[in-house]
Amino acid sequence: MNRRRAVRDTYDRIAAHFASTREYAWPEVEAFLADRDVERAVGLDLGCGNCRHAQLLAESAGIERTIGLDVSRGLLETGRERARERGFDVALVQGDAAALPLADDSIDVAVYVATLHHLPTRAARLASLDELARVLVPDGRALVSAWSTAHDRFDETEGFDTTVEWTLPGGETVDRFYHIYDIAEFERDLAASDLELLEWELSSGNCYATVAGAEPGEA
Amino acid sequence: MKESLLEILCCPLDKHDLELEDAEYEDDEVVGGTLVCTECGERYPIEDGIPNLLPPDMREESPA
Repeated sequence: MNRRRAVRDTYDRIAAHFASTREYAWPEVEAFLADRDVERAVGLDLGCGNCRHAQLLAESAGIERTIGLDVSRGLLETGRERARERGFDVALVQGDAAALPLADDSIDVAVYVATLHHLPTRAARLASLDELARVLVPDGRALVSAWSTAHDRFDETEGFDTTVEWTLPGGETVDRFYHIYDIAEFERDLAASDLELLEWELSSGNCYATVAGAEPGEA
Repeated sequence: MKESLLEILCCPLDKHDLELEDAEYEDDEVVGGTLVCTECGERYPIEDGIPNLLPPDMREESPA
């Protein structure tokens, strides 16, 4: 089995329990969306999981249509359930962050949080950043986040691959792949991509970057 | 999925447009059918209303 399929299978397995622990949107995402001034925009939650951030997009002023994309069918089902319970509208799509099934320049606002670090190779991570640049309109904005070595749980100072256990109710554990970024590496990978890096910050052990889409002809 | 989503979706492999075949509808939702790439011919199923646009090597079934 290839490693990207393995990540998908892991999340299919833990989907229901994982989603139940992901109730609230992140304040960093709320702040990013509060700064947006858009009209009739298309929003994308890339790696939407249970759609907690897709819900924020769908409920943001000026966003007319929201797409939630995830590799895991199990997680998409939890997103559908959340949308049904809370009455927001999201178009769900099963897809790979490194090979997006979305047209060039089709997205105005995107949230790509806590997902990039699950892609198992640097090539796949860079491909996914280039894909985000391709689908964003040139003046579109995205918030990208990943776990970093600055997180309390890590002693390392350089980026590394690891697995982090997920414990299901009943005690069974499932390993999840992570690439933990060091901060310089995060900045370097964003700079190496077709995205335009506008600003970045460290918050709660995560690196956050606000980026813009590629100028025409760059991507 | 809504049929209008086709304006945004494309083939994950070559980014060409997709055509909807054998669509099954419930109200204004497409709940079943197949999305076919107009360029490479790759086929992507719509499973219970959610299009599965994973590249073929990441899909459930292993190649025959």
